[in-house]
Amino acid sequence: MALLEVESVVAGYGAGPDILTGLTLNIDEGTSYCIVGPNGAGKSTLLRTVAGFLKPRAGEVRFDGVTMNGSRPDQMLAAGVCYVPQDASLFPMMTVRENLAMGGYLIDDRALLRERMDMVYETFPILAERSGQNAGTLSGGEQQMVTLGRALMIEPKVVMIDEPSLGLAPMIADQIFEKIRGFSDLGITVVLVEQNAVKGLEAVDWGFVLDLGSMEFEGPADGILADPRIRELYLGKALTRRER
Amino acid sequence: MAVVEQREDVAAGAPGRKPGSRSRRVALIVALAVVLLFPWIAYPIFDAYAYVMQLGILILMWISMSSSWNILGGFAGYISLGHGLFYAIGGYSAGLALARWEISPFLFLPFAGLAAMAVGFLAGLITLRTRGPAFIVATIAMLFLGLLFMDNWEFIGGSSGLDLPLFQFPIEFLKVPFYYAMAASAIGAVYLSYRVAHSKFGLGLRAISQDETKAEVAGINTRWYKVWAFALSAFFIGTAGAIYGYSLTHLRPLTFFAIAVAARMVLMAIIGGRGTVAGPILGSILILGVNEFAVRQFGENALNIVVTGLILLAALLFFPEGIVGSLRKAGKLPAFLDWD
Amino acid sequence: MNWVQIVVLGLLLGGVYAMMASGLTLLFGVMRVVNLAHAAFILVAAFITYVLFENLALDPMVSLVITMPLMFGLGVMLYLLLFPRLEESPRYVEMTVLLTFGLALIVEGLLTFIFTGIFRSVRPEYASTSIRIGDIFIPTSQLYASLISFALLICLWLLLRFTKTGTAIRATMQNRAAAQIVGVNVRRVSALAFGIGMALAGAAGSLLSFMFPFFPGRHWQWIALLLALIVLGGMGSIKGAVVGALLLAVASAFVTSLAGPTWSPITFYLTLFLILMIRPEGLFGTKVRL
Repeated sequence: MALLEVESVVAGYGAGPDILTGLTLNIDEGTSYCIVGPNGAGKSTLLRTVAGFLKPRAGEVRFDGVTMNGSRPDQMLAAGVCYVPQDASLFPMMTVRENLAMGGYLIDDRALLRERMDMVYETFPILAERSGQNAGTLSGGEQQMVTLGRALMIEPKVVMIDEPSLGLAPMIADQIFEKIRGFSDLGITVVLVEQNAVKGLEAVDWGFVLDLGSMEFEGPADGILADPRIRELYLGKALTRRER
Repeated sequence: MAVVEQREDVAAGAPGRKPGSRSRRVALIVALAVVLLFPWIAYPIFDAYAYVMQLGILILMWISMSSSWNILGGFAGYISLGHGLFYAIGGYSAGLALARWEISPFLFLPFAGLAAMAVGFLAGLITLRTRGPAFIVATIAMLFLGLLFMDNWEFIGGSSGLDLPLFQFPIEFLKVPFYYAMAASAIGAVYLSYRVAHSKFGLGLRAISQDETKAEVAGINTRWYKVWAFALSAFFIGTAGAIYGYSLTHLRPLTFFAIAVAARMVLMAIIGGRGTVAGPILGSILILGVNEFAVRQFGENALNIVVTGLILLAALLFFPEGIVGSLRKAGKLPAFLDWD
Repeated sequence: MNWVQIVVLGLLLGGVYAMMASGLTLLFGVMRVVNLAHAAFILVAAFITYVLFENLALDPMVSLVITMPLMFGLGVMLYLLLFPRLEESPRYVEMTVLLTFGLALIVEGLLTFIFTGIFRSVRPEYASTSIRIGDIFIPTSQLYASLISFALLICLWLLLRFTKTGTAIRATMQNRAAAQIVGVNVRRVSALAFGIGMALAGAAGSLLSFMFPFFPGRHWQWIALLLALIVLGGMGSIKGAVVGALLLAVASAFVTSLAGPTWSPITFYLTLFLILMIRPEGLFGTKVRL
C-alpha cells in the first residue's frame, strides 16, 4: 500500500473553476518525487490539497490508508505530512532558533525538542551560526534552510516542498537540492514541485508530469529527463549543448 | 462566411443589447412615473398625507445617499463609515446660505453638492493613503473630527445649532417641494452610479476592488481613481443633506454626524447588493420599510437599532452579496433589476 | 499646573488607554478583525459593574474577577458563532468590520433598552479622593485604575512571551499560514485571542465605570479613540498600541491644560491624520499586504 494516495481528486479555489481535474497518483514510502508541468497545471494546488489547505471537491486523499479529506493542516502535520509552501513561511520577527522551535510546536517533550534542534543544527550548520538572528533579516537561501530545518523538527514521514529553488541563485539552489537529497537518506519521503524541472528531476527518484489538472506522464526521473519528447512538450527546453 | 458569423456574434454581445433591455426600459419608465407622480397619486388616497410624503422624502434621501456611498464602497471596495460628514456639509452649507445670505437651499443645491465634493476630495487625499481596515478607521476619525469641529464652531452655532427660517408654502403641501428636490437628488445619484458603473472609470474601480496591486500594475492610476470615487460619492450625499436640513428648520451637528446615519447608508447598500446599481435602491426601500414597521410595533425606541444590527448581521452571514448579488449568483436576477 | 503633574497624569491615563487598545490590536493581529464593537463591550462590562455595585455594593475593582472571565467566555462564544463562516470570504476584512459594526449596534440598542440613556457612574469611596506624592496630586481612582491596567498589560506580555499558547498567538499574528503549517490550530488560537481581547475589554469596563460617567451611546467616542490609537501605533502591534496610547495621552493632557478639554480629542484625530500622511502604517506597523 502506498504511503500517500491521491485518487481522482478534483479541487479548486473559492467559487472558481476546477484546477485539479481528477488527479490520481501514489507516493511510496522512502522514494523521492518531483512534480513538474506547465503553469496552471495544478502542482501547487495538489500540495495544498494534500496538506489540508484546500478541501477536495471530489475524490479522496488517503494517508497510510486513512481518508484525510478535509483534515485541517495541523491535523495533517500531526499525521506526519509536512508542507513547505512557496511563499515566505517564516515568522519574520522571531529568531532562527524560535522559528525552529515553532517547527517542533506539536512536540511537548522539551528534551526531545532540544535533541531535534541539535540535529537540525548539525544538518544545517549555517543555522547554528545565525541562531539568534531575526529570520526576516536572513538571505533567501538562509531563509529556505530555516524552512527546511523547521520541517525536520517534527521528523515527518512526508515532506512536500513547493518550489524550493524559487528566487535563489543557481549555486544556492544547488546547495538546497543537496540538502533535500539528504532528506531521503534520513528516510523521509520527499515530494517536490519545481518550475526548474531539470534541477528538480535530477534530485529525485521518480517524476510526475502534470498538465491541466491531471497526470500526463509518470516514471523514473532520469527516464523523463532523457526522453526528448517529454522534455520538449513539458519541460520547455531543448537539450542544451552541455547536456547532450 | 466565417467573417459574417463572427460579426453576428459580436453584435449579440455588444453593449446596450443585453437580453431583457425592453423590460428594463419599461421598469425605468414606470419607476420614474411613480416617483414623479407620487405626490399627486397619494393625495386622494392617504389621509395622513404629510406622513406619507415624509416617508417618500426619506426613501428618496436614503436612495440618494446609499447609491452615492456605493460608488466608493461598492465599486471600489473601500468601506467608509464617515460619509455622514458630507451629509453635514451639505446641510450646513445650504443652511448657512439661507440663514446668512437668504439664498434658498433649493437653488443652492448644486453648490451644497460641490462643497461636499470638495471636502470629499481633500479628505480622500489623506484617508486614501491607507487601505483596508486602516482606511475604515481613518474615515471614522474623519467623521469624529468633523463633528468636533462643528460642535465647537461658533459661526455655525456650535452644538446648540443653527435656526433656519421656515419655507413659505401652503401648509398642506409643504412637503411637496422637498419631495421633488429629494427626487432630483436621488435620480441624480442613481444616474451617476449608473454612468460610473458603465464607464472605464467604473471598470478601473472594480479592478481596484478585486486586486489593487494588479490594477496598479495594469497601468491604472489607482490613487486618482480612488480619490475621485471618494469625491463623487460625496456630491449627492451633500445635496440630500441640504434638502433634509432645510426640512428640519433647525440644524445641529449631531443630527448629521450620528453614526446611525453612516450605519444606515452602509447597510442599505450591502443589503441591496454592493457594487450594483439597483442594489442600494432596493436596500433603501427595504430597510426604511422594516424600520417603519419596527417603529409602529415597538415605538420609537432603542430596539430599532437592535433590529438594524441584527439585519446587518444576517445579511453579512447569509447574503453577503445582497439581494441583487445573490439573485445574480443564483442566475435568477430579473432583467428589470439588472442595471450593471 | 506644573508639567510633571501633567506628564504623570497623562501616563497614568495612557496606561488605561493602552490596556483597552491592546485587546483591540491583539484581535487585529491574530485575526485581521477590526472589532468596532470593542468599546460597546467595554460598556457592557461597565454596566455589569454598575449593577453589581448598586445591588451588592461590590467594589468595582473586585468586579474584575467577574467581568473578565464572563467577557472571555462571551468572546469565545461570539467568535465561534459568527466568524468561522466568514473565513472563506474573499472580502474577509470588510465583512468582519461590518459584522462587528452590527454587533455594536445590537449591544448599544440592548443596553439603551435596559438602562436608558442616562449617565451612570460608579462612585466608590476612592472616586473622590486624591493622593499626594511630592508635589503631585493624583486622583485615587486614576491611580488604582492605572496600576491595574499596567499589571494586566504585564500579564499579557508574560502570557504572550512565555507560554506555549502565547507563542502560538504570536506566531499566528506574524504569519497565519506558517502557523498552520507548524501545527497551530489557528481557529482555536483565534477564538482564544478573541476571548482574551474581550477579557481585557471587561477589565477596562470595570475600571472605566468609576473613572468616567458613561451611557450606552458613549461607545462610539471610545471606539473612535481606540481605533485612532491602534492605527497610530500600527495595527496588530501591541507595543505600538502601548506607546501610541502613552504618547497621545500625555500630549492630550498638555493640550487640555493649555487650551481646554474640547481640544483634547481633536488632538487625537489631528495627530492620526498627520501620521497617516507621513507614515500610513503607523509607528510600529509593517507595510502588510492584506
